[in-house]
Amino acid sequence: MPRDRLQRTGVALAALGTLGAVLLLWMVFFWVPTERTLGIAQRIFYVHVPSAWIAFFAFGIVALCSGVYLWLRDERLDMAALAAAEGGMVFCTIMLLTGPLWARVSWGTWWTWEPRLVLTLLLWFVYFSYFLVRNATENPDQGKRFAAVVGIVGVLDIPLIHVSVTWMRSLHPQPVVLRSDGPALDPDMLITLMVGLATATTLFLGLFLMRYTVECLKREVDQRRTGAQAAQGA
Amino acid sequence: MDYLRVIWTVARKDLLIEMRTRERIAAMGAFVVLVGVLFNYSIDTAIVRPQEIAPGIIWMTIILGGLLGIGRTFHLEEEDGAFSGVLQAPIPLDALYLGKTAANLVILCLVTVLIFLVFGVFFGLSFGSHPFVLLAVVFLALLGFVGLTTLFSAMSARTTMGESLLPVLVFPLLVPMVIFGVSATSRLFAGRPLSEVAGSVRMLGAFAILSVGAGAMLFRHVVEE
Repeated sequence: MPRDRLQRTGVALAALGTLGAVLLLWMVFFWVPTERTLGIAQRIFYVHVPSAWIAFFAFGIVALCSGVYLWLRDERLDMAALAAAEGGMVFCTIMLLTGPLWARVSWGTWWTWEPRLVLTLLLWFVYFSYFLVRNATENPDQGKRFAAVVGIVGVLDIPLIHVSVTWMRSLHPQPVVLRSDGPALDPDMLITLMVGLATATTLFLGLFLMRYTVECLKREVDQRRTGAQAAQGA
Repeated sequence: MDYLRVIWTVARKDLLIEMRTRERIAAMGAFVVLVGVLFNYSIDTAIVRPQEIAPGIIWMTIILGGLLGIGRTFHLEEEDGAFSGVLQAPIPLDALYLGKTAANLVILCLVTVLIFLVFGVFFGLSFGSHPFVLLAVVFLALLGFVGLTTLFSAMSARTTMGESLLPVLVFPLLVPMVIFGVSATSRLFAGRPLSEVAGSVRMLGAFAILSVGAGAMLFRHVVEE
């Protein structure tokens, strides 16, 4: 797809996502019923869970694009991985910020070694090192390869980290359970959650495409600049 | 068979250099003994029993001491520019990685033996009644650790941040090793039945396979010029 069309699609999706976010906020604050046991703080759930979904979904894209990038060495894959990683890190940060807020109210503590919490924190650090290695090399191509390796090792290790932190919890049972996972979530709550998921996904895809096109332009500028310098030198 | 010979040649070369310079092993050895001394004063033995927290301290010492030495795997060769020569050699790069990993594993095993001896003496520890199971736990955890750190030390050696990058890259990925290593060691130290350790041993095995497998697959992309 040509770049300007990608950009237009990105802007359209981001605008749609922003509208969705407004709708979601309205639903969260005025429409959805309050959960019986967890009270008003449970409403953070509709932002928290979609962010979590995007944080992990984006990391999947990062790992997939990184793997294929190492194989085919197509610049577009690296740009896609980078764009997904930036979006994913934003949502991972949102998740890490909303999690403790909710935990403070319903568990009475800002931080607990709840497996999903730990896993997200570690995921955030894997994202962090993804950007760190990318910018820590003199040769940009090397940075891209290093970042791809971090992405792949991260996605391989994350299931193992998940198993280990979950297993750890079984040794130290938590006094409070996150949520009674009864199959029957109130239909209104389910709808709000679905709107939240759709909003986060649309917003993420919009940001992803916009970031991708920005990266395309950036690399084109770099390329032309080096071309011009070479021409001047000659 | 040639493949194994390449691994052996690379490992032998690294170990020979280490035997002659004793650079890394001396630093790691001194580090872990001194950490033992400092830990002794960081624990109030009137309140906590060393036997109970020793596994955690031992594993953290292995990780920190290990990073100190393994982080410098490529240092000497990079300094001399000798690594480009190694890369020119007509050998598969994953065999090169496996050779380096094997040499690092031998070095770290020696340091770990020292850690267990020194900490055992310093804190009067009892290691439980299953030495071979303990050996298997330590070996698998070290294999996984060395697999990851060798890969990432090749990476950090080529960045502008150098070794300071290594902990940031490796620590999040080491969580399984710490959890299962400490859990298994604690239970063995406490003389609990082996059935309580079996799960940890299996998970450490998975961690080791994953680390070394990923390292062997991805190493070529890290060292390529």
